[in-house]
Amino acid sequence: MSLNTLAQALVSGALLGCFYTLMALSFSMILGVTRGLNLAHGDLIILGGYLGYWLWSGSGLHPLFLVPVAAAALLPLALVWHWLFHRLPEPRELSSLVLTFGLSLLLQNIMLALWRGEYRLIASESLTGSLGLGGLRLNQGRLIVAAAALLVVGGLFLGLTRTRWGRAVRATSLDRDAAALLGINVDAATRTTFLLAFCLCGATGVLFATLHYLYPAGGIELTLLAIVLTIWAGVGRLRSVLAAGILLGVIEALTLAWSGPRWRELVVALMLLGSLLARSGGLARGWSH
Amino acid sequence: MTRALLEVEGVEAGYDDVRVLHACSLEVRAGEFVALVGPNGAGKSTLLKTITGLLPVSAGAIRLDGERIDGLPPYAIAARGVALIPEGRRLFAPLTVRENLELGAFLPRAHGQEEETLRLIFRLFPVLQEKALAPAGVLSGGEQQMLALARGLMARPRLLCLDDPFLGLARLVTNRFCQAIREITAEGMTILAAGQHVRRLLRLAHRAYLLEEGHVVLSGPGTGLLQDERLRRSLIELIPGGVDQPTG
Ligand SMILES: Nc1ncnc2c1ncn2[C@@H]1O[C@H](COP(=O)(O)OP(=O)(O)OP(=O)(O)O)[C@@H](O)[C@H]1O
Ligand SMILES: [Mg+2]
Repeated sequence: MSLNTLAQALVSGALLGCFYTLMALSFSMILGVTRGLNLAHGDLIILGGYLGYWLWSGSGLHPLFLVPVAAAALLPLALVWHWLFHRLPEPRELSSLVLTFGLSLLLQNIMLALWRGEYRLIASESLTGSLGLGGLRLNQGRLIVAAAALLVVGGLFLGLTRTRWGRAVRATSLDRDAAALLGINVDAATRTTFLLAFCLCGATGVLFATLHYLYPAGGIELTLLAIVLTIWAGVGRLRSVLAAGILLGVIEALTLAWSGPRWRELVVALMLLGSLLARSGGLARGWSH
Repeated sequence: MTRALLEVEGVEAGYDDVRVLHACSLEVRAGEFVALVGPNGAGKSTLLKTITGLLPVSAGAIRLDGERIDGLPPYAIAARGVALIPEGRRLFAPLTVRENLELGAFLPRAHGQEEETLRLIFRLFPVLQEKALAPAGVLSGGEQQMLALARGLMARPRLLCLDDPFLGLARLVTNRFCQAIREITAEGMTILAAGQHVRRLLRLAHRAYLLEEGHVVLSGPGTGLLQDERLRRSLIELIPGGVDQPTG
């Protein structure tokens, strides 16, 4: 493998890692405040991607402008999800699986009906140029998208750690009753979390669609990756999510550059297994008080 | 007579299908320290959770300053100045000691007084200042109890409810905390404390209530209750070692 391929693999891996981070953050935020697993998470991202694609192919606008539009478009769904999660019977960890498995299938079928099974990509010319950096040639589109993703991740970090709202959300996801006793409106914090997480899904979807082909069933893999990252990092551990996301992205890109797509899933699966054997943290720890 | 800050009137409450409290009535006047004692399973924690809105009231009324608070969500009750330091501490384990304290002052009513309260807290529990940047989860049991107390103080509540406040604390620390509680009550914080350290609680308390199987069976001044035959019988029978256990 040449130095050039290696560098390109690292860059695109880090970019992919930014996505994974965004995806895992929104997933684990919902898990944190509801103790529910949202199996339709990846489908929502794909839906955001399709909305972005549809708007882009109709209007020809720069894809980055469509990021906030797709984000806002998912807001009504956030309220639906919140309403449904609010009514889940205990144990929520399990009942949420049943509910969101159904929602996932529903979304996939709606997307299949609307956009049929064809693969779609936001192949905007504004993103295809390449940029020389020393001896390296880097894809300009990827850099722009990575910058956008990093910006969102950074904003989210600041919001969750520095603002009153962020503190309320973190406290709610760690211990609902304890948070309520301190005067935090845990229901409002939960609703805001759903709204924000769904915005993130929409935004992530458009960014994703500039790099990867969309197809209606593509969300399943994204959901699984979000679960994997959450297990690795633990709920509410922001820096660990970022580290885990980028690590996964880089390893995936290196495997891809090294041996082609064949080994990608296997390597990811082995990493998951190894990390679970190495530590008993993550998901389980995030749930306990 | 000073008017009651908290009035609990014929309250029935419990968990999904178990009724735990039966027509419980008590009152706490402003500035008072009231103890709530009783054997394990009597319903002390249940009563405190009901007052703070974590459990619904199925009959009766709870008033704060004459206004009904039963039926309000916990955050609204907290906003009116009622704080509970719950059984089992319930700290935010991955967050630092400092972040836990900051969350204690989440309500607008606590704003502007954080620095002053922090000074008081660090004087009471210097170890919290030393470990301000450590995650709460790595503190020892006693240190965690101190942090739980401190987090409750940060809210500057009018009524501070304590559930087993001295659990796992060394005698010296308990003494220091009791001293602080005396200062606080003198300053005007009202306290309702439930717990196992019966003798200590009753000595601190202006008045006390004895709870048995969800009924208030006895009430009176703290030191008076300490002499009471019925209390001695109830607790000596049910707590191994009698009224002095656990030592504190
Ligand atoms: N989450 C719960 N679900 C159902 N029943 C409960 C629950 N918590 C407590 N109980 C029951 O309610 C009754 C009163 O419990 P509570 O915790 O209020 O007692 P307590 O007086 O605080 O006792 P202790 O001194 O041991 O803390 C007990 O019979 C207990 O079994
Ligand atoms: Mg108790």
